[in-house]
Amino acid sequence: MMVWLILLPLLWASLAFMLGPSRGVWLSIVGLAAQLWLAFALAAEIVGSGAAMHAVGGWGAPLGIDLVADGLSAAMLLLTQCIALPLAVYAHAYFKRDDPATTYFWPLVGFLLAGLNALFLSTDLFNIYVTLELLGLAAVGLVAAGGGAQQIAAALRYLFATLVGSGAYLLGVALIYGTYGTVSTVTLVSLIGADAPDLVWIAGGLMVLGLMLKTALFPFHFWLPPAHGGAPAPVSALLSAVVVKASFYLVLRLWIGPFSSLTVVASLVVWFPALLGTLAVFWGSYQAIRAERLKMLIAYSTVAQLGYLFLIFPLLASAGALQAGIMQAFAHGLAKAAMFAAAGTLIKATGQEMVAGLAGVAERLPVTLFAFGLAGITLMGLPPSAGFLAKWQLIELALSQQHWVIAFVVLVGGLLAAVYVFRVLRQAFLLAPAGSVVTPVPRTLEWTAFGLAAASVLLGLRGVELMQLVGVT
Amino acid sequence: MKRLLVVLGAVCLVVLLLGAMHDLAPASVELHAAVATNLTASGVEHPVTAVLLNFRGYDTLLEIAVLLLALIVILAIGMDATISAEATVDVRPLVNPVLQTLAKLVVPLMILVAVYLLWAGSFRPGGAFQAGAVLAAAAVLLHLAELLPSWQSPGVKLRLGLAGGFLIFLAVGAVSLMQGALLEYPLEQAGALILLIESGLTVSLGLILAGLFLLLSRDDGETS
Repeated sequence: MMVWLILLPLLWASLAFMLGPSRGVWLSIVGLAAQLWLAFALAAEIVGSGAAMHAVGGWGAPLGIDLVADGLSAAMLLLTQCIALPLAVYAHAYFKRDDPATTYFWPLVGFLLAGLNALFLSTDLFNIYVTLELLGLAAVGLVAAGGGAQQIAAALRYLFATLVGSGAYLLGVALIYGTYGTVSTVTLVSLIGADAPDLVWIAGGLMVLGLMLKTALFPFHFWLPPAHGGAPAPVSALLSAVVVKASFYLVLRLWIGPFSSLTVVASLVVWFPALLGTLAVFWGSYQAIRAERLKMLIAYSTVAQLGYLFLIFPLLASAGALQAGIMQAFAHGLAKAAMFAAAGTLIKATGQEMVAGLAGVAERLPVTLFAFGLAGITLMGLPPSAGFLAKWQLIELALSQQHWVIAFVVLVGGLLAAVYVFRVLRQAFLLAPAGSVVTPVPRTLEWTAFGLAAASVLLGLRGVELMQLVGVT
Repeated sequence: MKRLLVVLGAVCLVVLLLGAMHDLAPASVELHAAVATNLTASGVEHPVTAVLLNFRGYDTLLEIAVLLLALIVILAIGMDATISAEATVDVRPLVNPVLQTLAKLVVPLMILVAVYLLWAGSFRPGGAFQAGAVLAAAAVLLHLAELLPSWQSPGVKLRLGLAGGFLIFLAVGAVSLMQGALLEYPLEQAGALILLIESGLTVSLGLILAGLFLLLSRDDGETS
C-alpha cells in the first residue's frame, strides 16, 4: 500500500505531461484523492498492526533498499496528502485558463508529491538524496514557472540554497558509506556507536547543516521569504506547509536514528538546534511584524513557526517530544496552507499586495478573512486549536525537565504571532477607502481556505488519535 | 573579505576531512561480496548493471524521474521561449558543408554504437545511460551542423518519446508490485525485463538529454 503512494503521483505526473500544456487537472485531482485515501488506510493499518516494511526488489537492506512506514512517516504522509488535495482544488480555481504558470503545473506537483512521499518512506541515505533532488527541483520549478524576472531570481536563489544543502548532505552520505560500507539507516543504527571515528562526526554535521539549510532554519532562512512570498499563492501554500518540513523530518529521523548514540555522547549538541530555533522564532516574528507585503508577512511567519519544530531537540529524551513536534508540524502545515490560500484570494480580489491595502475586506470577503483569522488562532496557539495542543505539550515537557527557557520562548512566540495576525485583521476591519473595487472571486477559493483553517483548529479536538499514530514504531 | 572567509572555511573543511580520513578502519559491511553472490539471480552478468537495474533499481527509477523533471522544469519556466525571443546576435558560423557531410557519416555510426552499448550493458560496462548519452550527442551534432532544428514546445509524439521510457519502467514496477514487491523480477524473466527497461530508457534518455540542449538552443534561421 505504501509503495502506491510513491508510484501513483509519478504515474499521474507523467501522464499529465503527455496530455500536454495546461492539461491533466482532473487526472491529478483524482490521483490526489486516491492518495489521501491510501494515506488514511496506511495510518489505520499501522495503528492496528505496527510499522510496515517493504523490501524493494525483494532483496532487503543492505543490498537493496527498504521502505518503512512507522508512526512518524505515516503521520507526515497523512499531513502531505491532507494539504495537497484541497490546495489542488484551490489551484484549479485560482489560475486563469491561459496563465503561463499552469503550462506544466500538474506534472510538477505530481513529481513534488512523489518526492515527498518517497522521502518519508525511505530508510536508505542515498535513496533519500535522490528524493531530495526530486523534491528540490520540482519546488524550484513551481516557484519559477510563469513568473517575471524577480520571481525567477528568487527561484534561482532557492535553487542554489537547495543544491548546497543537498551537496553537503551527499558528502556526508559518501563519508558514512566510506566508513561503514552501507547506507541503510536501519543497519547504521547498530553500527554507529559512541566510539565512532571523527569522520562520522563530520559527516553527521554536514548532513544536519545541509538539511537545516533546506529547512530554512535561522540563519539559513535567507532564501525562503522571497521564494515563498513571490510564488503564486497555491505554490507558496504547498511549499510553506509541507516542503520545508520534509528536511526537518529528515533531521529528526537522523537525530533519533543513526546518530542517536552520537547525540548521547555530546549532550550539549542538542542545544544547537534549539538555539537556532529560538532565534528563528524571534527574528521571523519580528520581520513578520514589520513586513509591508501580505505574503512576505506570512512567509516570515513560516520562518518563525519552523523555529518551534527545533525546540523539541533538547526534550527528545522524554516520550511526548516527538508528538509535540509532529503536532506543531500539522498545526503549522494546515494553518499556513490556509493562510497563504486566504492571502491569495484577498490579493486577487483587491488587486493589492500590501497589508495596508486590505482595508474593507472584512465586509466584502468575510469567509476568507474568517479563514485567515482561524489560521491565526492556530499560529498563536489559542485553544482548542492544534497549535495550542502542540505548544501546551512543549511547555509541559520543558517545565518537567526544568528547561524554563524553552517554555518562555514558546509563550513569547505566541504573543508575537498575535501581533502580526492582529495587524492584518485590524487593517481588514477598517472602512474601505472610497472608490476601492473588490473583484468577485470563485467560491471555491474561499471555501478551500476555510476548510484548511477549520481543520487546523478542529484537529486540536482529535489530537489524541494523531499522537497515538506518531507513537507507533 | 567575504571571499577570503569562504576560501578559509573550505580549506579548513578539506584539512579536517583529510585528517579524519587518515585513520580509517576498513568498512564493516562488505557490499561487493553481497553483489557477487546475488549476481546470478539478477538476470545480468555485469555487477554495475545489476546494481543499477535490479538491486537498487528503485534509485534508478527516481533518477529517471529527476531527469524528466529537469526537462519539464525548463518547459514550465518557458526558458525555451524567453531565450529564443531575447537573443539577437547569432554567434554561430555559417553552414559548413564539411561539417554537414561528416555529421551525415558519423551519426548512423553513433546510433550503432548506442545500440551496442545498450546490448553490452548486460555483460560489460555500458547500458542505457551511456547509450542515451551517445544518442543525445548525435542529436547535438546534427543540430550544430544545421541538419536538425532546435525544439520549440514539444508536440505529442515527442512528449511520448520523452516520458515513454520512464512510463515503461514505472509499468514494470507497478506490475511487479501487484505480484509481490516493487521491481522484483521473476528469475527467468529478469534479463528480458531489464533489457526492455533499458531499451525504453535509451530512447527517452537520448531525447531528454538532447532536449536539455535543443530546447535552450536558439535557431534564428528556421523557426523564429
